[in-house]
Amino acid sequence: MENAFTIAAYVVAAVLFILSLGGLSGQESAKRAVWYGIVGMAIAVAATLFGPGAGLWWLSIVLIAIGGFIGMQLANKVQMTQMPELVAAMHSLVGLAAVFVGFNADMTINLVEAAKVAGEAVTGSFSELVAKKDAVEITILRVELALGIWIGAVTFTGSVIAYGKLAGKVNTAAIKLPGGHVLNAAAAAGSLLLLIMYLSGAGSWTLILMTLLALFIGYHLIMGIGGADMPVVVSMLNSYSGWAAAAIGFSLGNDLLIVVGALVGSSGAILSYIMCKAMNRSFVSVILGGFGGPAGEQMAVEGEQIAIDADGVATALDEADSVVIIPGYGMAVAQAQQNVAELTSRLRAKGKSVRFAIHPVAGRLPGHMNVLLAEAKVPYDIVLEMDEINDDFPDTDVAIVIGSNDIVNPAAQDDPNSPIAGMPVLECWKAKQVFVSKRGQGTGYSGIENPLFFKDNTRMFYGDAKKSLDELLTRIS
Amino acid sequence: MKIGAPTEVFEGEARVAMTPDSARLLQKLGYECVVQSGAGQKAGFNDATYTDAGVEVVADASALYAAADIVAKVRPPSETEVGYLTKGQTLISFFYPAANEPLMKNAAEHGANVIAMDMVPRISRAQKMDALSSMANIAGYRAVIEAGNNFGRFFTGQVTAAGKVPPAKVLVVGAGVAGLAAIGTSTSLGAITYAFDVRPEVAEQVESMGAEFVFLDFEEEQQDGAKAGGYASVSSPEFAAAQLAKFRELAPDIDIVITTALIPNREAPELWTPDMVAAMKPGSVIVDLAAEKGGNCKMTVMDEKIVTDNGVTIIGYTDFPSRMATQSSTLYANNIRHMMADLTPEKDGQVNHNMEDDVIRGATITHEGAVTFPPPPPKTNAIAVQAKKEPIKELTAEEKRAKEVAEFKAQTKSQVILMAIGGGLILLAGLYTPPSFMQHFIVFVLSVFIGFQVIWNVAHSLHTPLMAVTNAISSIIILGALIQIGSSSVLVTILAALSVFMAGINIFGGFMVTRRMLAMFQKS
Repeated sequence: MENAFTIAAYVVAAVLFILSLGGLSGQESAKRAVWYGIVGMAIAVAATLFGPGAGLWWLSIVLIAIGGFIGMQLANKVQMTQMPELVAAMHSLVGLAAVFVGFNADMTINLVEAAKVAGEAVTGSFSELVAKKDAVEITILRVELALGIWIGAVTFTGSVIAYGKLAGKVNTAAIKLPGGHVLNAAAAAGSLLLLIMYLSGAGSWTLILMTLLALFIGYHLIMGIGGADMPVVVSMLNSYSGWAAAAIGFSLGNDLLIVVGALVGSSGAILSYIMCKAMNRSFVSVILGGFGGPAGEQMAVEGEQIAIDADGVATALDEADSVVIIPGYGMAVAQAQQNVAELTSRLRAKGKSVRFAIHPVAGRLPGHMNVLLAEAKVPYDIVLEMDEINDDFPDTDVAIVIGSNDIVNPAAQDDPNSPIAGMPVLECWKAKQVFVSKRGQGTGYSGIENPLFFKDNTRMFYGDAKKSLDELLTRIS
Repeated sequence: MKIGAPTEVFEGEARVAMTPDSARLLQKLGYECVVQSGAGQKAGFNDATYTDAGVEVVADASALYAAADIVAKVRPPSETEVGYLTKGQTLISFFYPAANEPLMKNAAEHGANVIAMDMVPRISRAQKMDALSSMANIAGYRAVIEAGNNFGRFFTGQVTAAGKVPPAKVLVVGAGVAGLAAIGTSTSLGAITYAFDVRPEVAEQVESMGAEFVFLDFEEEQQDGAKAGGYASVSSPEFAAAQLAKFRELAPDIDIVITTALIPNREAPELWTPDMVAAMKPGSVIVDLAAEKGGNCKMTVMDEKIVTDNGVTIIGYTDFPSRMATQSSTLYANNIRHMMADLTPEKDGQVNHNMEDDVIRGATITHEGAVTFPPPPPKTNAIAVQAKKEPIKELTAEEKRAKEVAEFKAQTKSQVILMAIGGGLILLAGLYTPPSFMQHFIVFVLSVFIGFQVIWNVAHSLHTPLMAVTNAISSIIILGALIQIGSSSVLVTILAALSVFMAGINIFGGFMVTRRMLAMFQKS
């Protein structure tokens, strides 16, 4: 049973977790904030091990140690460009854990009921807790654990698919089974039906069936969302894993689980909201997958993409005083961030102003570009957000677009019929000259023609971003 | 096929249509190149440099016309040159078909396909072969240089030990390609530069080159240059009068006037009248780039430099590009080379004269024995027609205030409604659920609130670390597993153990990777 000491420890841990998230408001305070999180977690686990989780504590410690060792190995080996995959994979673990814990709760309830009928005493702290509950409380408990299992299961398969898509192991295009959203809706309705049956005492098989339906929903939902929408998906799954933890917290009567679950859940929800806003799309339209059809005929793009070679870019950079670099997912794919950083430091050494413009949905994870640039040792004070830098483009000599497409598409502003009309974009075309490093002439993921590439002041620097920059670096000393 | 460039026969013409560099690139398109001996001499390319570039050198024009399938020239051909043309031969040169109709008919009778470089449509795709622009650019630059040559003072203002020198004031009339080039040259020499154009939309371009745009106080719907293919068209008499009045006002202050105003297929409009010339200071210079079409100043004598009675020099040269023959030949040869690249989509050295292509169709004036001038209007406009912009209404202070109040009210209303609904739902839940649930529920609601408040402040650049950290702390689910692991059921214990294991991976992995990321963020 929880004693006062455990609860006190939980309060301390909860405060530390809140401080940990709050500390992320600045780069310097963030370094301290991680430690708050670590200490909070250590206190929470230790208090549980001494208090209500004292049974088999040696096994728990051994398992945590092994898991921790694997976790550390992963964390140290992972490449920064693979962060989205790692985060998605970890979400799946939380989701699965929630499912297991939920099932355990169900089994415990059954055990306790059996024991009550037999008149035996129950052992284990959770069983004792359950034993004290009356019939209404047990029903609520069942609702809560079913909810926890359901969200956990959706998170699990969803994260596994998201991981597969991000790692390139699953086709990144939006794929839907015949039936589309009707299938999802049917599965959700089926889940609800099974939940009612479960509550009216139909037995644990309903719970298992409901879990299978949830697993299917997670799979099908994420399969239907394309690669460029991954920032929303990952933050959404993050949110789900939090809500699953909160639901489990309710069923276990553990306040710390509820607090942390709610924190994580709302954090993910806000991130999803920010990402959706940056794409000028509603959350629902992202989740339902794909772009809506264009409202009318899109403006035809006129002109021609004019190519340029490394010499031309080098000359222009040599003459420029202010340079803005706009990285996108293409930079991450080509692993070109080190070259970009090298280019930056060489240009800065010549006394030129070099800055980075980051669109909120650049990359496959919220803040993805910032992490990559930080890894390559680009100082964070020259890495600016869209709102901070958009007004500066008219005074910029050279804008370099590296592997981004839709986030620099002027059609979002000019063409009301464009699928991305109204999405805030980086107005790089206002710079005196724009260089676009791009693999070929094709359109990007979204298949939307980009008039930027046809503008008079735009020159296309074709080729793999990394190779192009390598070549460029040989010409800039 | 063979491409040949003859020596220009026009008196004083120094340019050549093929340079050794362009020949190398033409050979990459699969063509063989041939040049008349001495063709590039005046432009600074001797026969040896052509030979080095793999170009065959032939002795005279007749041999060249006989050898080449495609002849590239600068000036329109003379009667004799047209006489050399044979059936199926292609001639690429400036032609001015509207002014040279008999010549064009003659060429058509010979069965030659003639591509007029001056007829290339002004669309973005064709810019690389727009020889008029590339020559106009040179003319604009050279106009300033010629003016400086005849101007007795510095362009830039200086304060020296020997005294103060005022900067020269330059007025550029007509901000087309030549005008803009003149503006650029003049401002970079340090002169105070003014510019005027009948198309108000070029004011932005003028200002971007560092000159001041001269606006007229004139209330009339001004014409949109986009409709006329990017060229100016004739303006109304009232407008012309207002324009002249403005010039008259400026004339006494201006040291150098460069006029570039041309309207396609018309005599040049008179913009600088004799009384303005009379009002100018002695030593001032007028460069009239429209001299060939009669001049924007009617006192201009074509191809000559004159000095008026009050000491104003008027330059009426028409051969500015030829005066910089090396530069202009290089650019012109590149224009020709781009034209050939469009004519040779397969890069196999065979001309594919695609009359469906807007650019090629527009420039072709005779094809397979028939005159094909004038061309049909191109399918694409040169410049998108400017949409009339609705001016954004300035709100008055009261309107702003009213708007703010209305917004505040709407916000308050939506918040109150949300709170009422939320509160109602919670109260409803409280009626039907036991107190043990409500205790936890309060904790939950408060935590969501704290979460929302805290997360809004997280820096955008730290969103990835935020996800990693929330991921790590969401493994708090381990607590549930720890509590259950001591169960009497084996299955429960196994599942709980698995959960502990997975959460363990997550805790360490999540925190470690966050630390790693944050350590990378460095200030410069």
